[in-house]
Amino acid sequence: MANAIALSAKPSPTKRQGSGWQKRISHFVTHFLLMAGSFIAIVPFLWMTSASIMSEGEARSARLIPKQAHFENYLEAWKQANFSEHFKNSVIITVITVSGQVVFCTLAAYAFGRMNFVGKDVIFSLMLMTLMVPEMVVLIPNFLTVTWLGRVGPIPWTDNWPALTIPFMASTVNIFLLRQFFAQIPNDLWDAAQIDGADHLRFLIQIVLPLSKAAIMTVVIFGFIGSWNAFAWPMLVTQKAWQPITIGLNNFLDEAGPKIHLQMAGAVITILPILILYFITQKQFTEGIAHTGLKG
Amino acid sequence: MATTTLDHPQVTSSTQEKKSIFSSRRGRRIRENVTAYLFIAPAVIIIGIFGIMPVAFAIYVSLFQWIIKQKEFLGFGNYTKAIGNLAYVAGFWLALGAIIAAVVFARRLWRIYRQSGQSPWLWIPTGIAGGAAIALLVKFIVAVLPNFLGIADKIRGIAVKTREVYAQLLGEVFSAPEVVTARNWFLLILGLALVLAVIAYFLGGQAARIHGGEYVSYSMLATSMAIIGPLLGWFTYREIVQAYVVAIEAEKSVDIWPQVGTISGGLILLLAAWFVWRSAERADSTKATFIRLAAAAVLIVAGWILIGEVPAAGASGDKDIWKGLQITVWYSVGTVPFELGIGLVLATLLFQEIRGKSIYRMVFFLPYVTPSIASAAIFRVLFSNQPAAPVNSLLTVVGISPFQFLAEPKGVFTVLAQRFGLTDFPSWLAGPSLALVVIMIFNIWTYVGYNTVIYLAGLGSIPKEMYEAAAVDGAGRWSIFRHITFPLLSPTTYFLTLLATIGTFKAFNHIWVLREAAALGNTDTFSVVIFEEMKRNARYGYASALSFVLFGIILTLTLINNRIAREKVFYG
Repeated sequence: MANAIALSAKPSPTKRQGSGWQKRISHFVTHFLLMAGSFIAIVPFLWMTSASIMSEGEARSARLIPKQAHFENYLEAWKQANFSEHFKNSVIITVITVSGQVVFCTLAAYAFGRMNFVGKDVIFSLMLMTLMVPEMVVLIPNFLTVTWLGRVGPIPWTDNWPALTIPFMASTVNIFLLRQFFAQIPNDLWDAAQIDGADHLRFLIQIVLPLSKAAIMTVVIFGFIGSWNAFAWPMLVTQKAWQPITIGLNNFLDEAGPKIHLQMAGAVITILPILILYFITQKQFTEGIAHTGLKG
Repeated sequence: MATTTLDHPQVTSSTQEKKSIFSSRRGRRIRENVTAYLFIAPAVIIIGIFGIMPVAFAIYVSLFQWIIKQKEFLGFGNYTKAIGNLAYVAGFWLALGAIIAAVVFARRLWRIYRQSGQSPWLWIPTGIAGGAAIALLVKFIVAVLPNFLGIADKIRGIAVKTREVYAQLLGEVFSAPEVVTARNWFLLILGLALVLAVIAYFLGGQAARIHGGEYVSYSMLATSMAIIGPLLGWFTYREIVQAYVVAIEAEKSVDIWPQVGTISGGLILLLAAWFVWRSAERADSTKATFIRLAAAAVLIVAGWILIGEVPAAGASGDKDIWKGLQITVWYSVGTVPFELGIGLVLATLLFQEIRGKSIYRMVFFLPYVTPSIASAAIFRVLFSNQPAAPVNSLLTVVGISPFQFLAEPKGVFTVLAQRFGLTDFPSWLAGPSLALVVIMIFNIWTYVGYNTVIYLAGLGSIPKEMYEAAAVDGAGRWSIFRHITFPLLSPTTYFLTLLATIGTFKAFNHIWVLREAAALGNTDTFSVVIFEEMKRNARYGYASALSFVLFGIILTLTLINNRIAREKVFYG
């Protein structure tokens, strides 16, 4: 009885009827299982952090905690893997991509959500179809396209920022998400704004955007994660100059060979920005995921 | 808020000025359209160039031998190389699908006519001409494309790129004789379609215009499908004939036709079994049992035919592909149920009044957000084959001797059997390689948190009254879960199953990091095989063909899943 009620989120009066020890056992089991789950989720990270400050010998032995913290490992990994270059690249790529995404997706989502125009449904469903296409299908044609654009256009696209950012500046998922959000904004606001002589752009910037901070934040967060974690495409279109941090880390894993402590220091450096972002925006994050069912 | 911020004199005057131009209703509508198009333009252009167009472009590439540069036309060559004679079967079935789609669209048109009573004959010629124009546009693009791609090479040798050079090169592209013919035909039919549209618009009058748009679009779709279907069928037929010619010249025996026939027969029986099974639902109980038995018998026959024939037809294909497919299937089977099961358990546990709920949720979710390259790097060390590596030393503490883990190409069950002294373990029982099992563990570890969060959202949407009612009836915890929570979560479960399965077919990044030379070829899923073809061998045409095989598999899975979901999912 008590167990059954425990499933519902709100404590209901019947809950108190269950005998005390039964409840306590159920509580204990729940916490035990959750703790075990958390432990498994977090232990690779703990080990990574610990190993990243070990000496080379310690990392290769079966030690859990280093005798002495070697923070200089980070500096060494940073230098050896040329992380300053890769880190800078990743930051630039991420900033450009995310800004582009916010601007373009907001505009498009507003039009799809709040305006009427010829061919709206057709264009929108065409865009939704791209969600089904696996990345592997578009890799080659897009590679050929960016190579072509680079040769014909004024600046090279491959091994340069355009190939890494421009194709990702508009994403169907984000447009879809924002559209849902914008469409919910009551029409009265638009009517009022119109009376004041506002056009769509002004309404979007002054009314809609401030109301949609949460949705925009979600787009920013996912855009950040997406471009920071990108791997297959950058591997295809970069040689040396513009390799992002994921490629840098992957190369370093092969170069560093047995130097596990440096590998882990490199992993820490790669994960850290995402981790910081995650801890700051944690609530938005999980809620954004739950609302959109985003994956990937 | 709106009133205060927008009350700017300058703005008001400027909008008033515009109002004088666009003051009529039609004017306002045009203005809204123009604004909307400007708003969507950047996003649509980017998604069009890098999301929609590539699919068509990839089809084109896959029909050629394309090693860095476009070489000769191969037709089905890349596909037959990949999946053997199954390519022909797929060709025929796609053609059939297009024809069926044409019929479906025509029927929809007919239904609108039956419901509205408005004659469609005025509009159908426009639709047919429009459909033909689309087909001709495709032909024109195919004619232009090689020349267009060639611009990049021509421009490379030119030191100073001026506007004139571009104009000249572009002119050359569009003035090639075959391009001009294709363009003229396209323009002619497009013009015809427009003229017909105008005629219909004025002849039909106000009332006839109500369904005009629908009539035109459905007849257009039906026409283009009716063109694509037979064309594809004819093309497949020609490819088969050609394959026979080549085989006879080489004095080899081929049996494409028998294979195409038997596999198609098997597929038809499979569909028939499905329909018979469905018809049982309308019959009464005794009859239904018989019908179901009959369906099952047909199903067995169909399955027997397909299981016998499909591997034989695919045998001439690429061995790496079949291996990759097999590994991918192992990978799906070994991850999806666990991922979802653990996620559901954790979500149910979290969906209570407990302390630290948000902290648990945050921690579970952590693996999902970390860059998979970095987390895979951690697993690479954790599960390395060194005896002193973390997992191995943990096993040593418990008294188990270390495993090779990521460097183990042997099947997991073989490895375990060897531990128990069974040396002659049957190879068909070997299971996925131990290295792949480690990758599966990584996958489960990564995605459990994601599934937990989605399940939590699903649990939150179940009405509380359900639980209260069940509790009043005296239902226990398990029976509430079995009869209320689980059925009401079925939409979430289906959604997650589909996403997770497709995810395993797309999986790339972490496998790329976790694959080791010692276990090479035993951890490469389909996506990795494709990427190898692309990156290392630079065989773009072949890799494109492979990626379409992958796409086909994913689409089929999605369709089957949607079908099942439509019948079985309970939407409370």
